This record gives sequence, structure tokens and C-alpha cells, in this order.
Amino acid sequence: MNSYFGQFGGRFVPEMLIPALDELEKCYEASIKEEGFHAELANLFNNYVGRPSPLYYAENLTKMLGGAKVYLKLESLNHTGAHKINNAVGQALLAKRMGKKYLIAETGAGQHGVATATVAAKVGMKCKVFMGEVDIKRQYPNVFSMKLLGAEVVSVKYGTRTLKDAVNAAFKYWIENLDDTYYLLGSALGPHPYPTIVRDFQSVIGKEIRQQMEDKEGRMPDVCIACVGGGSNAIGMFSDFINDGVRLIGVEAGGTGNKIGEHAARLSVGTPTEGIVQGYRSYFLQNEDGQLSDTHSISAGLDYAGIGPEHAYLHKAKRVEYVSVSDQETLDAFKLLSLTEGIIPALESSHAVAYALKEAPKLSKDKIVVVNISGRGDKDIFITAKALDNDNWKKFLTNETISPPDPLSTSRSTQNKEGEDKNVI
Amino acid sequence: MIKNKFSIMTHVVAGYPDMDTCRELILTMADSGVSLIEIQIPFSDPMADGPTIMEASQKALDNGVTVSDCFELVASVRDKVNIPLLFMSYVNIPFRYGMEAFVKECSRVGIDGLIIPDVPFDERLDYVSLVKGKGICPIQVVSPDMEDSRLKDVISQSEGFVYTTLKVGITGAMKEISEEGKQFVRRLKGYTKLPVLAGFGISSKEHVEQLRGISDGAVIGSHVINLFNSSGTIGVRNFLSSVQ
Ligand SMILES: Cc1ncc(COP(=O)(O)O)c(C=O)c1O
Repeated sequence: MNSYFGQFGGRFVPEMLIPALDELEKCYEASIKEEGFHAELANLFNNYVGRPSPLYYAENLTKMLGGAKVYLKLESLNHTGAHKINNAVGQALLAKRMGKKYLIAETGAGQHGVATATVAAKVGMKCKVFMGEVDIKRQYPNVFSMKLLGAEVVSVKYGTRTLKDAVNAAFKYWIENLDDTYYLLGSALGPHPYPTIVRDFQSVIGKEIRQQMEDKEGRMPDVCIACVGGGSNAIGMFSDFINDGVRLIGVEAGGTGNKIGEHAARLSVGTPTEGIVQGYRSYFLQNEDGQLSDTHSISAGLDYAGIGPEHAYLHKAKRVEYVSVSDQETLDAFKLLSLTEGIIPALESSHAVAYALKEAPKLSKDKIVVVNISGRGDKDIFITAKALDNDNWKKFLTNETISPPDPLSTSRSTQNKEGEDKNVI
Repeated sequence: MIKNKFSIMTHVVAGYPDMDTCRELILTMADSGVSLIEIQIPFSDPMADGPTIMEASQKALDNGVTVSDCFELVASVRDKVNIPLLFMSYVNIPFRYGMEAFVKECSRVGIDGLIIPDVPFDERLDYVSLVKGKGICPIQVVSPDMEDSRLKDVISQSEGFVYTTLKVGITGAMKEISEEGKQFVRRLKGYTKLPVLAGFGISSKEHVEQLRGISDGAVIGSHVINLFNSSGTIGVRNFLSSVQ
């Protein structure tokens, strides 16, 4: 397998990790040659994940915008509510084949953590999810779900305490537990072969779009739009169209401004700077000394200083356009899609919607735009309710916290000294 | 680079706890008979480091330590100590600086070796040929789970000495050195004429004693930082004198 996308990618890890990455690459190469593996994956996709996910014609939105026809790819309707499950299911099968007993994962928004905890429960493996302390605070619903699914959520309390630190923590844990543990990485980044494997498992998104478009419109879409955190939903949507003339647009988190620390736009704000961090060569938000910068986004899933190496390549090759939208534009789009179509998108996906709102009206009515709704918005209630309905939200939270404890509740919480919040539900 | 005696290599994080104290620590270490010192340029995302070094790196960065401060640190002690000084860091530091420019600065301030654990020898970033002929040794880090053929390839790229970890794991003090680790050092010695220094987890005089006769030296990282944290420069000096 090729470990590079142009000059990007590679396998920049300590020697200790090389045997594990070799083992994964071998297992993946062997598995994709086996019909049995594809059958097993297809069975889980169809019966567990709920694939294919609908390609939905957003008629109200299209009328309102008055330009191109807008379709929404509803990854939000997958089991666990986002595209992350596609990759989690695929990699869990590989982990099983390698005879591993434990799954570990990093998570930002918590979607990948939930997806991993879910498949761990399904395939009968133990699961540990690393999550930044900041993200744990803002994504409580997913933290709760992971615990309910039997996973241990480990709070990462160093660095920026967000996704990048969760990735570091997962790698460190993996280095210490290579024998029986598999690191189920959640986005199209990290050392080879992860970017390729994650892309391949997510490429079902684009393949389905092609087929569904053919069925509904008898042709290919003109524009595909996806949000880009690490880059997995976007590369999954794009990869099937890269060699065709389809316009591909990746939307990064513009945050609250263009200064370092105010956004997470690695390619579309300022001049992208190359780096080699977390095992791969790509573009990173970093200072002049090569220290990763603080990032900000209203959506935890896009709040990351790096971008998958294939995106770096597609940017450099000018094959994909990378743009950004602000937190405010994201919230506006979040509201608008809820009102016009009755679809509450994840804040990550709302970035893609926000850009579509700008782009579709500029295009003629015979054009077709597909927006990837990578996930649904339930998990974001602590952010969206605070931003859009603060007074009532505060009242609700106050009422909840001052009411006497429910005598039927069996919840208890313990903190050990490593700072792992081990809640037993 | 390594003399004909059992060598101790110690570790400091540049700028931890602050530049002046760090400089003093380097001088103390050299004065206590240490054979080489590994100076870590702090990085925001140190993948192979455990809590001790990670916290020290974070503190140094919070203090505002820059890469050029690290070069100046070396320049300021270079004339005062006559043992090899090595830089250890993660690849993004020299990569962002510009590999060539970085190597040139290393030459200027008198760095004797580079340890960059996240660049496998077969990756597309050849700093080994960049340092050739500049008096800077590219030190390769190997570990017990490596396949034989790969191990031999890595060793063939090494100069100065081979740095082996005693465990498959991140840095950090340990209670015991594993038999597996010692066994690996013996195997490694059979493959190379270069001196072999062993590290990761060494945290007592007994550990060092156990390695005498097996490896050509010991690398003591997290433990000296822990010692400094608990009992200051004096604590470090006392420990180092006891292991000579
Ligand atoms: C719903 C959703 N969309 C998008 C992302 C961003 O990740 P990626 O860029 O890998 O698709 C996340 C990450 O957590 C997510 O939960």
C-alpha cells in the first residue's frame, strides 16, 4: 500500500509502533481480498448501521434558496447518529481478526467514542475512550452514552484538553498495551495505514450518493459539500468523485475570527503551514516554532489543529476547495435547516449546510448540490440550547440540579487519582 | 562519542523549570561525572513521553521557551562542559525550523548528536545524510519488539551509539527493569560494534548496577526530573555521584 498522498502522510512514529502498524496493514490488505470480509461488513452496514442512508431532496430549502437543487445525504440517520459508525464497524472487524481484546479510541464530539463503544458492545470487546476534559464538559450526552454502552471514558487533562490531546493519550496508551489492544482511530489521519483505511470504510458515503443520484436524477451531482474536522466524512463523500468533474468543497471551522486560537481552519484562513505531528505529514495550525496552536470551534468535532493528509494533498493539487464558515453562520444554518426541513443537524454538519446556503443561490436551477449531513444535532443540546434559548435552558438546568436526588437512581460516581471519571451507571 | 567506560546519559527539558535553573542542572550533571546529556527541546505534543517529561515540557512552553532559546542554552554552556551534548525532540520542531537550517544551528552551537524518535529510518525525511560530515551523530532509537531484519537496517544507519528502550512503552520511571529488556540488549550487542545505551524506566542505583556488564551505559530521564522536583539540584547531584 502507498503510505503517501503526494508529499503528505507517512508513518512518523516511534519504532515501537511500527510492528502494530505493519500488522494492521497486513490484516487490512488480506481482509479486503476476502469475500467473507466484505459480506460481513455489508451485513453490519445494512442490518446494524441502517445503510444505505437516505439521499433526501430538500425541497423546501431548495425553493427558499432559489438556486441549485439541494440534496442532503443523511448520515445523521445511521445508528448512533453520525458517519463515524461506518469506520468503527470496519475497524472493529479488523481488530477481531487480529485477535485483539480491547478497543481504544479518541473522541472529540463524542460521536466516534459512542460509535466505538457501540461496536465494542456488539462484537464483545472491552472499550476505553480518551476524551479531552473540555470536550467532556461540552458533550455530556455522548459521555453518558459511552458509559451506558460499557466503555470507560478517560478524561485527558493536559495540553489544550481537546481532540488532539485525546489522540496523544490514545497513542500513549496503545504504545503501553500493544499486545491485546487495538487503536480504533476515528478520522482519516494519523500514521499510515489509518488515513487509507478510514477513507475506504467511509467511502460508502460517496458510492451510495453516486448510485442514489443515478436512480433519482439519472446523473452525477455538480457539487458535493462536507465539513472537515480530521476529514473522514468529507473524504468518504469525495473519494468516489475525485476522478470525475464534480466540484468538491470542504468546509472548515471558522470559529469567531481569523486570529490563531479563534478558529480551526487549517487550509482556508491564512497561509497553511506544513508539519509532521501525530504520525503524519500535513498542514497544521502551529506557531513559528512548530508547537501546535490552540484552536476554537463551536463544534467539538471540528476543533482540531491538523487535517488528514489526503486533504492536504487535494488542497495542494487544487482538486478540492477548502472554505470556512463562522460559529454564527453555523448556528444560523443549524436553526434554518431545523425550521425548513425538520432536520436537526450536528453542529459539525451545520458548517456544510452554512456554506451550501451561500453557494446554492449562486448556481442555476439545473445544478445539483449534495450536502453531507454527517450527524444529527441531539448531542449538541448543551451548546445550541445555551446559544439559542439561554434563559429557559438555564432555568431547566437549575431546576434539574436543585431538585432532590431521585431515590430510584443507582448512579454513583468515583474519581480515581489518574483523573479517570469512572461512572458506574 | 562514548568513552571506554560505563556511561550515564541524563536528560533535561530545555527551559524547565526555567532557563537559569536548567543551565545550572546541566553544569551540575557534567560536574557529577555524567558522560553525555540529552537536552529535550519541548514540544506541545510529545507522543513517546510519559507524565513526568510531558509536564516538564508543558511548563517550559508555558514559560515561553522557544527553539532559539534552546540553541542559546547550548551555546551558553558549551564552553563550560566537555562532554557530548545531544538534542532530543520530535520531528515537527526541526521540520518547522527547516531541517537544513536546524542542523546548521546545531553545528554552530556545538551539538554532538540528534535524537528524533518519531522519524523511522525508512521514512521520507532523510536527516541522516544532512548531518553527515557535520560532527553530529544521528542517534537511532530501537526497542524490544522490533523484527530482526528491521533492527539490522536501523543499526546500519546509526552512528555514535545505539539507544535502546528497555520496554515497549512511553518514558517514565519504573519499579523494575524487565528481563525481556535486558535480554534484548544482549541480542542487540551481538549485532553491532557501536556502544549500546539503554533507557526508559531506570529509576534507581540498583537499576544502573543491573545494566553494568550488559549495556555500555544507562539513560536516566524521568527519574532525574522527579529527583529535581522532589529535592532540587542537590538531590540530582547526590544521586548521580552515587551511580558513578
Ligand atoms: C457529526 C460529525 N461530523 C463531522 C465530524 C468531523 O470529523 P471528520 O472530519 O473526520 O468527519 C465529527 C467528529 O466528531 C462529527 O461527530
